[in-house]
Amino acid sequence: MPKPSLAERLDQAIEAMLGSGPAPGSADVQVQELVRIAAELRALPRREFKESLKADLQRRAQMPTTTVNFIREGFHTLTPYLVVKGAPAVLEFARQAFGAQEILRVKRPDGNIMHAEFRVGDSMIEIGEANDQFAPIPCAIHLKVEDVDAVYERALQAGGTSLYPPTDQEYGERDCGVKDPGGNHWYIGTPLSETHFLPDQRSVTPCLHVADAARCIDFLKRAFAAEEVMRHQTPDGIVHHAKMRIGDSLLELGEAHEPFPALPLNLHLYVPDTDALYRQALAAGAASVRQPQDQPYGDREGGVRDPFGNIWWITTHIKDVQF
Amino acid sequence: MKAPKKEADERLLVEAAQADPARFADLYESHFERVYAFIAGRVRNRQEAEDLTSEVFRQALQNLRRFEWRGVPFAAWLLRIAANAMADRWQQVAREQGDPPPEPPDAAAAEDIEGRALLFQLVGTLAPDQRRVIVARFVEQKSIRDIAQELGRSEGAVKQLQFRALRNLRVHIKPRPENGAPGGRRAHA
Repeated sequence: MPKPSLAERLDQAIEAMLGSGPAPGSADVQVQELVRIAAELRALPRREFKESLKADLQRRAQMPTTTVNFIREGFHTLTPYLVVKGAPAVLEFARQAFGAQEILRVKRPDGNIMHAEFRVGDSMIEIGEANDQFAPIPCAIHLKVEDVDAVYERALQAGGTSLYPPTDQEYGERDCGVKDPGGNHWYIGTPLSETHFLPDQRSVTPCLHVADAARCIDFLKRAFAAEEVMRHQTPDGIVHHAKMRIGDSLLELGEAHEPFPALPLNLHLYVPDTDALYRQALAAGAASVRQPQDQPYGDREGGVRDPFGNIWWITTHIKDVQF
Repeated sequence: MKAPKKEADERLLVEAAQADPARFADLYESHFERVYAFIAGRVRNRQEAEDLTSEVFRQALQNLRRFEWRGVPFAAWLLRIAANAMADRWQQVAREQGDPPPEPPDAAAAEDIEGRALLFQLVGTLAPDQRRVIVARFVEQKSIRDIAQELGRSEGAVKQLQFRALRNLRVHIKPRPENGAPGGRRAHA
């Protein structure tokens, strides 16, 4: 039987080195040297990786050195983004019920609202008309007001549907629930003397009812470096209410239950480095909705869907654009 | 290897990038394989190596103006960033898993980072069909049969390409001491 060629003997040794073939007999020195090189090549970097990192660095290098704040003026770290059928009706509801001030309205060619922004108290909310590409995502929002009874009345007159009337709650808040014409849930509350509201809690706090809130809290810590600042839970670990701080904003969450079923959020999240946090969120278990890319409105933006159905638009403001 | 032969050349590259960050690309091209080789020998898988390499170069770009030329090679500065990034990552993992953190990697460890970095760069100089076989075999971990089908060649021809590629690379690589474990401390997935 003829001796296998050098190329053949080398491949047998490489198969063994890669763990996919039987260990060969004693290989000659020449083969051993080549296998040693082959072993080093298992760590060879991907050319695509090298090129994509280079492109990313070039993009970063071209960012103006007099950088703008990574959070667009007027916004905070977290902003609820409502996607509804009938956005104008929701805007009008917010104006009448909460005194919302419309800041921006951008229409699509068909006349529907592509994107609008309005201010309630000290906070911004964004809204867009649902369509074939973007299904409705009604959200839950905790709204802090000075007079919950008056706001409740105005909300009903403005077309809202009562979820529950103003009630003094044991957790230190007189609150009510109203559903707006777009299906968003507004939990409207006025702090009582002993309240769970934090001193720096703003007018608008996104509110998440979620199945397995405890696991969601762990995810938020890993994906977005969220800080747990409050948690009330049963002895067996069911989270009634928790507050998470992300950047300068708060997010409230609790275990979904009737009459508060799971209601995923659509959130705009401003961060210093979109790409880094996008990767961090994916590593924590989120799925990509859109890879980070520069947008004509001056933001670099990527989207992920977390394991609980919430969508996060991870954004860095990179330049100011006049609309 | 494309790394500057003389300290003065490297200093010019660094100062150019400090004055104009767009010139950072030159430093990146000079040092990418070195940083990757340093990290790849110490982490568990390719994804981790890529994440950490990205982090190192982003930090380097961000902090480039803070680099002061005091006779220490720019590569040493990069490897120090890499060592810190790995130490941070391991401490985070250790905290999450409740394990004591491992010893931080030593950026100055005298091992063959340079040899491995050179090897990575040399792959780019191979003939296209040899390079394709090396990448398919060792990066993509494909079998000879799959590569043969992909290239429309016989398995014997692919083995010959693999052999020639490795032989060409060996010409430029110094023999390693026998006690060196091949493939770094932890093999790539």
